[in-house]
Amino acid sequence: MPAIRNQVRELRAARDMTQQELADRVGVTRQTVIAIEQDKYSPSLETAFKVALELGVPIEQCFQYDPRGKR
Amino acid sequence: MALNLSYREKTLYASLAVELAVYGPYFIFHRQNSVAKVAGMIIAIIILQIILQSLIAALTRNRVTDERDRLIELRGYRAGYLTLASLMVIGLGMLWIHVVVGNHAMDGRMIGLHFLSVFFGMLVISDIAKTATQIVSYRRAL
Repeated sequence: MPAIRNQVRELRAARDMTQQELADRVGVTRQTVIAIEQDKYSPSLETAFKVALELGVPIEQCFQYDPRGKR
Repeated sequence: MALNLSYREKTLYASLAVELAVYGPYFIFHRQNSVAKVAGMIIAIIILQIILQSLIAALTRNRVTDERDRLIELRGYRAGYLTLASLMVIGLGMLWIHVVVGNHAMDGRMIGLHFLSVFFGMLVISDIAKTATQIVSYRRAL
């Protein structure tokens, strides 16, 4: 289990937003959005805030830290 | 698969293809090294890179690079540096063994050509290690 988990996929799907649309709004590549959604990449704090902002939720609803998870 | 490649990833595949296409035959088939051959290869690499990178840039609409690209780039450079440093130690050790322990006296020209071959080879291997590490990082999604 990764140390930082996220609900980006669920939140994005609930807003009917594509990966490319979210990537364009945040200023990252679609591949980065895919990596974030698969919990394979933990974004920087700035990108995490931007993602939460674009999804219209507080950051803690979007990203969670699990101290027992693997870094 | 091609649709899932980012702009940076496409350029990496192109770089690796050019490096293998030019350096591969050189290191497999060459008999006698010379400064002219090395210079020719470097010029060939530059020309092929310019052509391929221009084509990729022209054919790719979205050329965004982000923090993950930069992180992968750094990982590649770290792998390349570690490869280069390791090979330098091995190369110098081989030279020392050849000249001192093996009692094979080398004249200045031989040493020059030896350095040209060995250190050029090290640079090439390090560069390929850097590019390959970046490609693997992209494929593993980091």
